[in-house]
Amino acid sequence: MNNYDDIVVGSGISGLTTALILGMNQRKVLLLEKSPKIGGSLSRFYKKGIPFDTGFHFTGGFANDLILSDMLSVLSLNDDIHPEFIKNPEDNRFIFENQGKSFEFHSGFEQNKKDMLSYFPDEKNAINSYFSKVKNVRMNTKAMNIRAEFVMQQPLEEDFISLKEVLDSLTDNKTLKTLFSAFSMCHGTEPSQISFANHSRVTYSLYESIARVKDGGNAFIKAFKNKLKEYNVDIKTNTFISSCEDIAKRKVGTFVLNNGIKLKADNCVFTIHPEEILKTFQEKNTSKAFIDRVKNFEESVGFFLTFIKLTKKDQKPLNPAVITLYPDNDLDKLFDPKYKGDLPLVLVKNSEEVKNEKINIINAFELSHWEHVKQWADSTTGKRSIEYKEYKKNRTDRIIQRITTMFPEYKNCLEVIDSASMLTFRDYLNNPYGSAYGIKQKIGQFNLFGRVQYKNTYAAGQSSILPGVLGAMMSGFTICRYILSKEVYAKFIENN
Amino acid sequence: MSNKIELMINEVFQESFEIEKNQLKPEANIFEDLGLDSLDVVDLVVALQNKFKVEIRTDERIKEIRTLKDLCIFIKELQSEGSS
Repeated sequence: MNNYDDIVVGSGISGLTTALILGMNQRKVLLLEKSPKIGGSLSRFYKKGIPFDTGFHFTGGFANDLILSDMLSVLSLNDDIHPEFIKNPEDNRFIFENQGKSFEFHSGFEQNKKDMLSYFPDEKNAINSYFSKVKNVRMNTKAMNIRAEFVMQQPLEEDFISLKEVLDSLTDNKTLKTLFSAFSMCHGTEPSQISFANHSRVTYSLYESIARVKDGGNAFIKAFKNKLKEYNVDIKTNTFISSCEDIAKRKVGTFVLNNGIKLKADNCVFTIHPEEILKTFQEKNTSKAFIDRVKNFEESVGFFLTFIKLTKKDQKPLNPAVITLYPDNDLDKLFDPKYKGDLPLVLVKNSEEVKNEKINIINAFELSHWEHVKQWADSTTGKRSIEYKEYKKNRTDRIIQRITTMFPEYKNCLEVIDSASMLTFRDYLNNPYGSAYGIKQKIGQFNLFGRVQYKNTYAAGQSSILPGVLGAMMSGFTICRYILSKEVYAKFIENN
Repeated sequence: MSNKIELMINEVFQESFEIEKNQLKPEANIFEDLGLDSLDVVDLVVALQNKFKVEIRTDERIKEIRTLKDLCIFIKELQSEGSS
């Protein structure tokens, strides 16, 4: 039987981070990935030679609030990842389609506040109060500093109050409230259900800066791959843990892989969806309390994604831009799976070099729910019904119509290269519901994080503390602090 | 009232941790007698929250709980705090 110090399950950004930190600390590490390639939602796909992003499109943390840069520098990856900042306010914009109003924001926390004040001069108190509350949470979340001395973040008061409650106490202006919650699309939970604290943790970094990354998620995958090799981390693709066996004294004795191979390990870190973790634990060895806890998690939203090439002649390369269209200013209504109208649509523009030619592309993400595609859940890619194809066509056509209504200059020059529904995401990225952020981050919820069920099994990943690249990477750092011990971890961070 | 709380707590241990009814005595130690591990604490908290519809924050008092009776007193306190 093969022995490892640590097995890391799932090779998205959390798994890559965890495996690398452990490898850099001279441990014998095995990284497992169910798909044929590593990277999870970081992966890009190519169609007509053009690269398109699947799950990673833009992030905060590269400027002012340097949490991402800091994590990358500890992993010695900073030279391989090149942020492309969104600089112009017209490229960081929210548009209310029903009011024909557009709000542009300069990057920077203070700049965002200033812009908000200029749009709503009568709401000075609400705006000042909102921004100071957001900053307060961020500054009090010591866990968002990987150099902080302690292990566990204690919840703040703001962890027990919803974003909606806070906003309702500040103002009656619905448009302003929607602008305050505008980055809800970046954590996938509606204002009435997300805590003000988690909203602030995600949003603060995005106020400070928004950046795309040159070569998208592939830049991360490539950089991690090289480093993992350097530190002798074994990687096995098409492989997952099918069961945890020989359990004694609450410790898993044997991790059985889908190919029948049996492994022993001091620790096993699962960075996969909570439901997928549950599947690997044998039901007879798992308390009903744990099963119920996992089954009661709800799923965050997902997206219907349309990949578009701009065919306009003589066009200049597009600056990176994130523009969100809101059909209405009631976000809770728009997040309700039963809502039948148009849904929020995020347009991420960028330019990619293909055979020495700059190609301008738009990734158009329309909010989606599992309920939209549930009826075709039993089908697999390439073998879906006509009704499903019609669903995809109708959504794609409507997205194009909304874009050209708002930007008439794009009429007749949008070439749809492909579309992806939540089923596509489910099947290509191996997550159970094709959602964008794993489980919903609900107020007062106890996520799976840290040691779970057994003494040598851990949960990390974007469902565990905060969604998105930042939260996912942070979860990896925190788990490694447990595994390595506080002292070893502190030395590691200090030396890097 | 406390009788009802006791019954409901016992139900949680029976339903969620499959512990035999005859083991559920007020003086039973949750860890030593009922066999729960520190790994089960969060699952227990979640199950109790769902059962009693109260919010149990990572309350310092939880760390002091050893027996079913301690747990009963704690829930009672939480409920009276919630209603006051």
